[in-house]
Amino acid sequence: MKALTANRLIDGEVVFWRAGQWIEQFPQAQFFADDDAAAEAALETGKAQPTIVVDAYLIDVVEAPGGYAPVSYRERLRALGPTNEPTHGKQAAGGAGVEAILAATGAARSTGRVDLIRRK
Amino acid sequence: MYRYDAIDREFLADRADEFRGQVARRLAGELTEDQFKPLRLMNGLYLQLHAYMLRVAVPYGSMDSRQLRRMAHIARTWDKGYGHFTTRQNLQFHWIKLGDAPDILDALADVDLHAIQTSGNCIRNVTADPYAGATAEEIDDPRIWSEVIRQWSTLHPEFSFLPRKFKFAVTASAKDRTAARVHDIGLVLRRARDGALGFEVIVGGGQGRTPYVGPTIREHLPVGALLGYLQAILRVYNRHGRRDNIYKARIKILVAALGAEEFARQVEEEWAKIDTAAADLPDTELARIRGAFAPLNFETLPARSETFEAAKRASPALARFARNNVKPHKKPGYAIVEISLKAPGATPGDASAEQMEVIADLAERFGLDDIRVTHEQNLVLPHVKLDDLPVVHAALAAAELATPNINLISDIIACPGLDYCALANARAIPIAQDIARRFEDADRAEMIGELKIKISGCINACGHHHVGNIGILGVDKKGEEFYQISLGGSGQEDATLAKILGPAMPADQVPEAVDALVETYLAARQGEERFLDTFRRLGMAPFKEAVYADVH
Amino acid sequence: MPTFIRLIEGRYETAEDVFTDVADEDGLPDGAVILSLTRFQTEGDALIGAGRSVGVRVTADEAVEDLAYDLPRLALVALVFPKYRDGRAYSSAALLRERLGYGGEVRAVGDVLREQAGFMVRCGIDAFVPADGSSPEAWAAAAGRFRHVYQRAVDARAPAYEERR
Repeated sequence: MKALTANRLIDGEVVFWRAGQWIEQFPQAQFFADDDAAAEAALETGKAQPTIVVDAYLIDVVEAPGGYAPVSYRERLRALGPTNEPTHGKQAAGGAGVEAILAATGAARSTGRVDLIRRK
Repeated sequence: MYRYDAIDREFLADRADEFRGQVARRLAGELTEDQFKPLRLMNGLYLQLHAYMLRVAVPYGSMDSRQLRRMAHIARTWDKGYGHFTTRQNLQFHWIKLGDAPDILDALADVDLHAIQTSGNCIRNVTADPYAGATAEEIDDPRIWSEVIRQWSTLHPEFSFLPRKFKFAVTASAKDRTAARVHDIGLVLRRARDGALGFEVIVGGGQGRTPYVGPTIREHLPVGALLGYLQAILRVYNRHGRRDNIYKARIKILVAALGAEEFARQVEEEWAKIDTAAADLPDTELARIRGAFAPLNFETLPARSETFEAAKRASPALARFARNNVKPHKKPGYAIVEISLKAPGATPGDASAEQMEVIADLAERFGLDDIRVTHEQNLVLPHVKLDDLPVVHAALAAAELATPNINLISDIIACPGLDYCALANARAIPIAQDIARRFEDADRAEMIGELKIKISGCINACGHHHVGNIGILGVDKKGEEFYQISLGGSGQEDATLAKILGPAMPADQVPEAVDALVETYLAARQGEERFLDTFRRLGMAPFKEAVYADVH
Repeated sequence: MPTFIRLIEGRYETAEDVFTDVADEDGLPDGAVILSLTRFQTEGDALIGAGRSVGVRVTADEAVEDLAYDLPRLALVALVFPKYRDGRAYSSAALLRERLGYGGEVRAVGDVLREQAGFMVRCGIDAFVPADGSSPEAWAAAAGRFRHVYQRAVDARAPAYEERR
């Protein structure tokens, strides 16, 4: 599965795509099947919003105990917040979705950008 | 300390005003992100993992209580109540909003602070000896020359779009607390045999992907000739430094490619053509700047303080603090006090707004209103009376700022790493925390003695791992964080690059490996040897054996 | 006719550009031309001898010193900024003015944005072809943004240390 992410221009907040909107919490993000053309379409829409978000890109997502998690460690940190300050960032909200990311194991790729090679 | 006048203040106001306009144009879509990025970077604003990060310049690591209080105010108002002191003596805020940045720059300018040239391919904030003006070792005050360079390099018309970033370090002591030999230019003040003051000019040191200890290209540059000579170096670099590959663009690559002799020859050739009368600072201005750093009004005191001696006898905690964090001052009856930002389990270099205010108060009441930042991510009160040390220590202890571990194994440098930084491959902070906890026993730490651990979360080496006695580099191994240990580095006057110990290991094995290295050292050390001395005597083999013996 | 921004006696104004910027592979048009350094070295003498106005385009990796003996005959020197971040042409401009004593037009071409205006003017550039479509007013505002400068440069502005005297 995939999700679309970016940083919001005005405040740098990590945001995720959900049905035409940018939202702040990964667990509520829209998850696209790997072969779903809607993912690329959402990416194009996101890239066409330069005054709203910076650097939209797709990430790989896997099932995790009780929910979903980004594949890569870096993207998990973006979805949670820094590990040295557990009360800072999105993880502070707690809940099952956050627990699922925390419980996810087996990172598989350094950046989680599904199209990393093409981007470079 | 140097006081800004109307000219400096109007300059900062103009700069903040310019950036406010640029932010407005970006938000309105008149500037693309590609166009805006270099502009915000020139004002220290990065987009990191979770938010924007603002890197505020602490000019040559020196500020007063009013400025530190303003940092606390910014931390509380626009961030999450803390700031992070960096290996370049700056202060970073990690949770900044782009929309707030113009107001923050105004708030900084209001107390003569700014974020100018804390990023970008320009001349960055100068690193200087944090003991400047306080240590008896120095032969001149490096802040004078750092201020000269600050003014000269600020929006320099010719050298603001260099091939890559450019970092200066200035020191005037035999003991180097600036890592001068791993800077783009290191300037070490020296006296010639005839007493004339000059600089040893070291060019092309650096860390990152390709570390070098910089060669000396001139043994003695008369101090008055500094700016003309720097113009020659920077011009050679600006014209001939590589721009085709970001990893080969630093001046160290140019110096290494040409060879130090040929590089020096090109600099001298360029220098000979420069109108140095126009390029060098007039003596009157030099004298004005020197006057700003005139010796302070120290009281005449006995060298020994009975108050302090009695308090040490009564308090083992104070005695330990004195052994490790209190350094000799040039004036009898005074001391240099280092404030460790490395409490066990804390994030190296972080200070809360409340802690900043405590330190600002202490500086104002007991420290001649002077505060320094060290490149090892600690703070310094450079001028404290011995008589006042018990009170200062108690106030620091109450704010969890009295960790007595300067230069010991838990005084660890760590970059923000993957917890914050968009460039990182692995986390650095948790590794530092784990090691510090493992060596929390203060007696054992003192028994181990000086041991500098430096941790970077990626090859860019902001955590100075190349010059750590034990250097730790975070790498990405198929999506997992791994750590590569190297040994034997030093960023001091005996600068040496660390050598890789062996294959990288997962995070949970790092503290154990450090323990094995320490045990090997303790078993083998002779007399007063530090870890680094023992390593230099024995070489890699016994350490490698100790860490990897069980792995097979 | 295309235009550019010219700095004359402290004022920024729009001027018509009578020069044709000629690529190496193109034929020579009539009138005033700007040639690459290489092409100038082979064709320049003849053109100047025929009374044509000739300017030379110097790329960032070329040394302006190579033009030293030709400068008095040139109508202008165009310095190419291949990218906003490529700062070599600032050194070229400073050398043209300070070392080679060139008093003619020095024109910035390529990735020329108004954020560079102050740096360019201070290095002695006096003509600009902005890639961002900046007006002379916007250019003047950007170039005059700072009330003070800290170092002596090609322009005549008094650095802070002289203001303080």
